[in-house]
Amino acid sequence: MMRKALDEEGLGQWLEALLRGPRRVVAPVREGDLVLFRPITSREEILWDEGKSTLPLKEWLFPPTEPVLHYRFWGNEVEVEDPPLEAPETVVLFARPCDAAALGILDAVFASDYEDAFYLTRRRAMTVVGLSCSRPQPECFCAAVGLSPTATQGSDILLTPLDGRYLVEVLTEKGKRLVEENAALFQEAEGLDKERATAAALAQMGEVEPLGEVSRRLSERFESEMWEVVARKCVGCGVCAFLCPTCHCFDIVDEANAFGGCRCKNWDACAFALFTLHASGHNPRPTQAHRYRQRVMHKFAYFPENFGPTMCVGCGRCLVHCPVGMDIYEIVRILAGGGAA
Amino acid sequence: MKGGNIYRPYLMKVAEIRDETPDVRTLRLEFQDPQVASSFDWLPGQFGEYSVFGAGECVFTIANSPTRKGYIECSFKLMGKVTSALREVEVGGTVGFRGPYGNRFPLELMEGRNLYFVGGGIGMAALRGLLQFTLDQRDRFGEIFILNAARTVADIVYKQEMEEWAKVEGVTVVKTVDPGGETPDWDGKVGLAPNVFEELAPRPDGNIVITCGPPIMIRFMLQALDRLGFRPEQVVTTLENKMKCGLGKCGRCNIGRYYVCKDGPVFTAAQLAQLPNDF
Amino acid sequence: MADGSIPAQWEPKIVAFVCNWCTYVGADVAGTSRIQYAPNVRLIRLPCTGRIDPLFILKAFEQGADGVLVSGCHPGDCHYVSGNLLARRRFTIFRRLMEFLGVDLRRLQFSWVSATEGRKWAEVVNAVTEEVRAIGPAPSWGEKGEPWRALEPPTGEEAEPLAAPAEAQTQARRSLARRLLEQGEVGIVVGYEANRRGEVTPALITQPGEAERLLFDGRCRHNLSVYLTKELVRKQGKVGLVAKGCDVRSVVGLVQENQIRREDVVLLGMVCRGVYANGRLEARCHSCTVRTPHLYDHLIGEATSASALAEDPRDTEIARLEALSPQERWAYWQAQFARCIRCYACRAVCPLCYCEPCIAEKTRPQWIPPSAHGKGNLAWNIVRAMHLAGRCVGCDACARACPVGIRLDLINRKVALEIEREWGYRPGFDAEAPPPLTTFRPEDKEDFIR
Repeated sequence: MMRKALDEEGLGQWLEALLRGPRRVVAPVREGDLVLFRPITSREEILWDEGKSTLPLKEWLFPPTEPVLHYRFWGNEVEVEDPPLEAPETVVLFARPCDAAALGILDAVFASDYEDAFYLTRRRAMTVVGLSCSRPQPECFCAAVGLSPTATQGSDILLTPLDGRYLVEVLTEKGKRLVEENAALFQEAEGLDKERATAAALAQMGEVEPLGEVSRRLSERFESEMWEVVARKCVGCGVCAFLCPTCHCFDIVDEANAFGGCRCKNWDACAFALFTLHASGHNPRPTQAHRYRQRVMHKFAYFPENFGPTMCVGCGRCLVHCPVGMDIYEIVRILAGGGAA
Repeated sequence: MKGGNIYRPYLMKVAEIRDETPDVRTLRLEFQDPQVASSFDWLPGQFGEYSVFGAGECVFTIANSPTRKGYIECSFKLMGKVTSALREVEVGGTVGFRGPYGNRFPLELMEGRNLYFVGGGIGMAALRGLLQFTLDQRDRFGEIFILNAARTVADIVYKQEMEEWAKVEGVTVVKTVDPGGETPDWDGKVGLAPNVFEELAPRPDGNIVITCGPPIMIRFMLQALDRLGFRPEQVVTTLENKMKCGLGKCGRCNIGRYYVCKDGPVFTAAQLAQLPNDF
Repeated sequence: MADGSIPAQWEPKIVAFVCNWCTYVGADVAGTSRIQYAPNVRLIRLPCTGRIDPLFILKAFEQGADGVLVSGCHPGDCHYVSGNLLARRRFTIFRRLMEFLGVDLRRLQFSWVSATEGRKWAEVVNAVTEEVRAIGPAPSWGEKGEPWRALEPPTGEEAEPLAAPAEAQTQARRSLARRLLEQGEVGIVVGYEANRRGEVTPALITQPGEAERLLFDGRCRHNLSVYLTKELVRKQGKVGLVAKGCDVRSVVGLVQENQIRREDVVLLGMVCRGVYANGRLEARCHSCTVRTPHLYDHLIGEATSASALAEDPRDTEIARLEALSPQERWAYWQAQFARCIRCYACRAVCPLCYCEPCIAEKTRPQWIPPSAHGKGNLAWNIVRAMHLAGRCVGCDACARACPVGIRLDLINRKVALEIEREWGYRPGFDAEAPPPLTTFRPEDKEDFIR
């Protein structure tokens, strides 16, 4: 791993170089009252230091709706074709460490067994420049799930603000290419103590206990009545799943008329009542308590058992945007032992 | 698409339509691409995503044995949007198929053993592929006993085929309907599948039971098998769960950490006992 | 065309939804009488105009119609007695909503044509065809539109200081909740509490000791009556509901529609001086007339006399939108709906969206495309607005819940204003009153019907 540095001016010049370069540049911008990752053509559009985007980066790899097949009807025949897949080389600027770490989780899902070319083509064409957090937001709890405000997982390059400069950690080949194309702008990184930045940011995160190995305890509590007590409040919308950087459940539906149509892959959520409804009418998860339990178990038990990391990066979007304030961190603490009801 | 499009189905022609009951139909499908037709292979127990373009995709076990190549079959019950659309497709029409997906029946457990097939209603379709396989490779297995159960006489699937099965040496076929489902000229048994099975008192002796049917039938079958002395490792079932992608990605069919589409749909009762009560 | 010009050789495509007994026969008479008229209309026959769901009209536009004509029996002649009279009300509101969204109303026309009026049918078809021809092809339905542009927030708002909760009130509420639970009068109390970050969130408590958690102040924005139709809450028994006046209106709606029985809920009415977000008084509070709830079983707080009415900021924003040209309004709403991700938070938090299954979940047929693209989003949001017409109390829970900030509050407010203007009806006050779209008066206006 290469360590470099940039001062403010150097960063500005690097951004200009990237904008002039052949790649599409995507950065957080303000759109109305939302913060979203959007393509930019000038530095002025970039929104600095405003916490997280409303929609996570997964929007760029796995959009809310996307056709996976086009077809046309000719009598008894059907003509099928792959939809065009646009995946221009893209630099994503200033993804937060939580969002970047989420990419590793999505990679595991979409690359395992059968490779989802829709996701992977875009992913391979994407270079992620992460930006460490110096001011965690009140909802953040990345430290509870094995990450930190300066974590490097998922980023190709990670910038950490330190003493008026930026530490530039070059973490992958993709990141290296980006730096080497403008090597002259980068300085040496001596004297930059990342530990200090990490500690300072963590100190602001407030009381966040590491959740640790909750998978086993949650599995033991699978039949607990507490699930209903904590999940009663959930109204069964899809905001938490849709805004979550790691949630990836989807539906496949056909939309067509007499002439043809497409088969689309759409975001879906285990919170929806019909998510697991069988054609026979049987629903293995008939109440919101069952469904909320699935959300927690998937993130904190099943995914870690299958892949290793917790399927939660502690970004807190679910807390902030949940219309009724469901707090998954609190709920895991209650159910995995400790924490008042 | 570079890397291949995992959501893209094979194009199939409907070669034959057979109505098993008023609401259960079997389709025989042939691959439109001759290269695929000659190379496509699968293992008994695997399933596919069958689709009607414009209506959607639906999961059915591949209902024929890989010993009978050149076509694949599915038997399905009229339930909703996609099955309605499937019933509109005529011979010569086009249907999509993605697969084979999932695990397979554990043939290694069954070698040399007596096999007891117990199918409830449309659940019989999930067993038919394996059943045909054991009949086609008859000398690999012991005695074969088939219990085909349904709610009423009209709902018994594979009526004609059952007679073919019974003709094979060492194969016993018993049919039963639920009490109240019999007709005056019914010559089969009357009783719920678990009860009929228990009455016939098969000996466990390391033999294997393969069963599929509505969840309630499975529940009572497992209890009956326990009373008869079958160990959970000797009982094999194939689970239905709401599935979408069939690829272990869309997050819908999981039971605990296992995806029914990837780690199943075939499970032994011993494996089922380890799963959380989420199905 | 994008530049406003009309392509040569273009013929308007008009879809006509007609009733079987009058207009369809009238059209047939036009044919048998050999009357020549424009061939641009495709007929879809239904038993009655009362059967015409706005969804059908939306589907026609979605599939590329340039205009839609709806035609049926004259009032008084309906084969089913009153179907057309109900339709008249429904279309009155649907038209106003479509106009608000920026649809040129010359594309959406209505007529009464009887079985003998072959000549009139021909005239209507000719007239509609020419009017649509003059305005050109319909804009692409459900395209992304221009980049999202916010309306400027209302200016000149002084924030009243957040009302500090009176200690006596807090204790009264907590001890009341405790008592109701202890004595088994309710099985669950639904109120508000603070979470670990100090924000207010709904509290669902079943133990008397938990009553200490309850609070009520200007941050209590949620409409908790949404829990009255949730099975996990109902199974606890009677519900003690902490309700502001606006929330009580939803409760009345639920009783009116037979979703709950009045006796199944114990209303803990809260005298409310308004709720706040980011230091501003919420829009709906400006014009609130129910600071003291109009219905309650227990009242917490000093009853106040009628509050001073102030201009509702939502009305200001609606007026601003209505001052735009239809094209500008269309572009605005297309951009709004383009960002909908179909999370259905709007539906989940709405006390009156209790249908199981929801129309969006119906698959045979799939009326509302489930994908989060423009066409699907447009259909979903318009249909929801129509399904709430005459029922929505304007609590704005949907707009608050929307993670991408779609101005659902403006759409629902616009429909509510039109209903009040037309028929003097405000939902949520009279549980006995028939909802306005389920009834009619012979003298209902029909100035938009040929």
